[in-house]
Amino acid sequence: MPTLEAAEKVTGATRYVGDLLVPNMAHAKVLRSPLPHARVLSIDAAEARAAPGVVCVLTRDEVRAAGIEPVYGFVYRDAPLVALDKVRYQGDIVAVVVAEDAAAAEAAAELIEVDYEELPAVMDVEAALADGAPLVHESFSPIAPELRPIEGTNVCHRAHIARGDVEAGFREAYRVYEDTFTAPPVQHCALDLHACIASIEDGAITVWTNCQSPFPLQRELQRIFKMDARVIVPYVGGGFGSKSRDRLECVVTAAAQLAGRPVRLVLTQEETFQTFIRPAYHGTIKTGVRADGTIVARHVRFTIDVGGYAISGARSANNTLKVATGPYRIPNVLVECDAVYTNKPPSAPYRGLPTTQHTMAYETQLDRIARDLGIDPVELRMRNLVVDGDVHITGDLLRSTHAKECLEAAAAGIDWGTPSTPPETPSKLRGKGVSCTIKYTLTPPTRMSENGAAISLGEDGIFEVRIGTVNIGQGSDTTMAQFAADGLGVGLERIRVVHSDTALVPVDSSTTASRSTYHMGNAVLDAASKLTAETLAVASHLLERDAGDLALGPDGVEAPDGPTLAYDELVRRSGGPLSALGECVVGGTYTAPDGTEYPIASTFWSFASAAAEVEVDTDTGEVRVLRMGAASNVGKAVNPDSVRTQLEGGLGMELGPTLFERLVWDEGGQLLTAALMDYPLPTMETSPTYRPEIVEHPFEGGPFGAKGMGEIGSVITPAAVLNAVYDATGVMFHEVPLLPHKVLEALEAL
Amino acid sequence: MKITISINGKREQREIEPSRTLLELVREDFGLTGTKAYCHSGICGACTVLLDGAAVSSCSLLAAQADGADVTTIEGLAAGTTLHPIQQAFIDHFGFQCGYCTPGMVLLTKALLDEVPEPTREEIVRYMGGNICRCTGYAGILASVEAAAKALSGEIPAGET
Repeated sequence: MPTLEAAEKVTGATRYVGDLLVPNMAHAKVLRSPLPHARVLSIDAAEARAAPGVVCVLTRDEVRAAGIEPVYGFVYRDAPLVALDKVRYQGDIVAVVVAEDAAAAEAAAELIEVDYEELPAVMDVEAALADGAPLVHESFSPIAPELRPIEGTNVCHRAHIARGDVEAGFREAYRVYEDTFTAPPVQHCALDLHACIASIEDGAITVWTNCQSPFPLQRELQRIFKMDARVIVPYVGGGFGSKSRDRLECVVTAAAQLAGRPVRLVLTQEETFQTFIRPAYHGTIKTGVRADGTIVARHVRFTIDVGGYAISGARSANNTLKVATGPYRIPNVLVECDAVYTNKPPSAPYRGLPTTQHTMAYETQLDRIARDLGIDPVELRMRNLVVDGDVHITGDLLRSTHAKECLEAAAAGIDWGTPSTPPETPSKLRGKGVSCTIKYTLTPPTRMSENGAAISLGEDGIFEVRIGTVNIGQGSDTTMAQFAADGLGVGLERIRVVHSDTALVPVDSSTTASRSTYHMGNAVLDAASKLTAETLAVASHLLERDAGDLALGPDGVEAPDGPTLAYDELVRRSGGPLSALGECVVGGTYTAPDGTEYPIASTFWSFASAAAEVEVDTDTGEVRVLRMGAASNVGKAVNPDSVRTQLEGGLGMELGPTLFERLVWDEGGQLLTAALMDYPLPTMETSPTYRPEIVEHPFEGGPFGAKGMGEIGSVITPAAVLNAVYDATGVMFHEVPLLPHKVLEALEAL
Repeated sequence: MKITISINGKREQREIEPSRTLLELVREDFGLTGTKAYCHSGICGACTVLLDGAAVSSCSLLAAQADGADVTTIEGLAAGTTLHPIQQAFIDHFGFQCGYCTPGMVLLTKALLDEVPEPTREEIVRYMGGNICRCTGYAGILASVEAAAKALSGEIPAGET
């Protein structure tokens, strides 16, 4: 079914943050660092302050004078509101100019004189890990207990996970394969630009923003400014992780405090590239197999480039330790990672990152192994994929896996086993490839998970569902309305959804990590169940009937032989609205058969496969993806149309970083690909046809058996495409994107 | 300077700065925020409006260039509460998720189908190839355009795309 807000969206009536106006608001522009790494010696903003239309200028001096907390961050408190002693990447925030309009603010920003002492920069992980490398941060400030920085280096988090004895596994292997993998940074390019309006009135902050984590942001505002804060997130035009953490809201609030009036900031597209990016990934993967293709050992080492601030990037690295060895039964595994500071923009999650890069690494290596051993790639996977009852690398007992069924369904989508139709000219080559993955969701204790929902029955006879989930295009209002309607036993027309306003809805951790359907869905069902009981109790009293004889009907509470008590009348007669708070409790431990207690590493595990057919032009090096199949075990598809479009969207989005997207900096730390002119995105012309398939095996504990799937499509894309190129050309690429000149070079080297 | 334009069928006069873009005129002076912005460089198509029936990037045109012209924005497409068949097709065929690119996509479809009422798939892809969508992977948009063409050419009744 279409989403509830569909008509609003096709008529242009939907309001995103950039469309909002607040009375008396002023406009902000950010002055950014031109250098990747420098000490800030002095800032002279006198001329800017005197410029026409300027209200105020926020620099480190005003931040210090205001007595507010000058640094913020979710897991690392390392990001200053505006630069304090140093700037740490080109585009780092140095000052904020507030003026009557954005043009005046922009003009005045150019009048600010900043004296920098340039410092040597570390533009990639290799440079940052070198002996004697300049330090991006001289000290560490982790606030999440699981983070382990290495003092005196740029490593802000080092972690590992292991099972079995990986060296013993390699010793018993028939063959051992080792490969190195690289994926450069890219940007999310959510079209709804980062924007916020901050207002302080009567000692309380109100922020309108398109941040994906309104409640953590609210807490951060309260900590920094020591006053109440309300965060309102209207419809969001895509985020894909770029808005998962706040980056501007605290800065703009400081500017509003200084200005004494509401302040609005809307970034340009170029500035979004200086705000959050998907980090560079480098890794090696070593895999030992028996002669029949059974995997016996796997060792993965990888680095994540978290950029100048590890606001949340270090934890992203930690989370993906859990999935780096893939959806396979492997008795001996070791995964090691370093999250490393560099002088790049801060990193943010990106629709499943870095599960995407891990999947690329282990799945492309698996095709190399398949060819070496003479085993069909699908067959090799079938021999190794996990099944229900297997124990994962984390100790978790896996259930609702059905990874093999996903692979079969995805492969069927491109007629796996049937040779490709011959291309029109012999200079073009066609081939097919598949991929499989396993993905986690954010789970305590690695991440606090709070999941509340409220439903109330008001005097208009409408059930109002109040959720913290941000409606970012995934259709969450509709899915939650469906849960509420089913849970209550009423029609969708009786449901109204209120979303993501911290003053109106219960606490929710974030709209990230494919977590909302499961967590918020359960909370909504819990609230529906409690409200049903409460409503029946009230009706029982009013009707003088036993509550057990009554039921919620489409228009009111129904007795088997009596009249219906209409919902609006019930509320009027009961003296006011009825309301219930629901929650989803997660966490706990799992006891293995040997008695070992493991904290549950992921509340649910997602499984999916992709298949791709490509055409490689050996004259130009151009790779075209012709068609893609994909399948995910979603437990239960609550809105099958939304599931299919999410799968397609994930596949299509990730084709960009697979084929042509990448951010490039020059030696001086200047971003060369900051505008769409130099940073092409997938278009209808570059898009294949898709065959998204839903696999449904109810997950016990999920709402109606559902689990999350919002990111799974992108995760499985690069590996399937690279394997198809390998099939077509015999060249296995160990990096993305597949730029034509690189493809040509590799083909010539054959 | 003074300009006169017809916006969504209504004749309007405005005194504007010569440097004002058509995008700023539409969004800020007329409050028609259905027209979106992203790249501000005429590439992404989020700011597409119809200028005398042709699809243009309003971020890359001066408001002055629209003097004397008919401008249609997304707010001008539906007839009251009745959706245009193109809008209905985008709903029925999941031509959007977050909705941010949708005004531009719908108006680009309108320009295409006014010009080529029964486009081939290749013609649709070539015409629509400039507008960026980050959510759908384009399959739903392609299906929406094809369904809208059928609805508008009377092959299937409007509202049953």
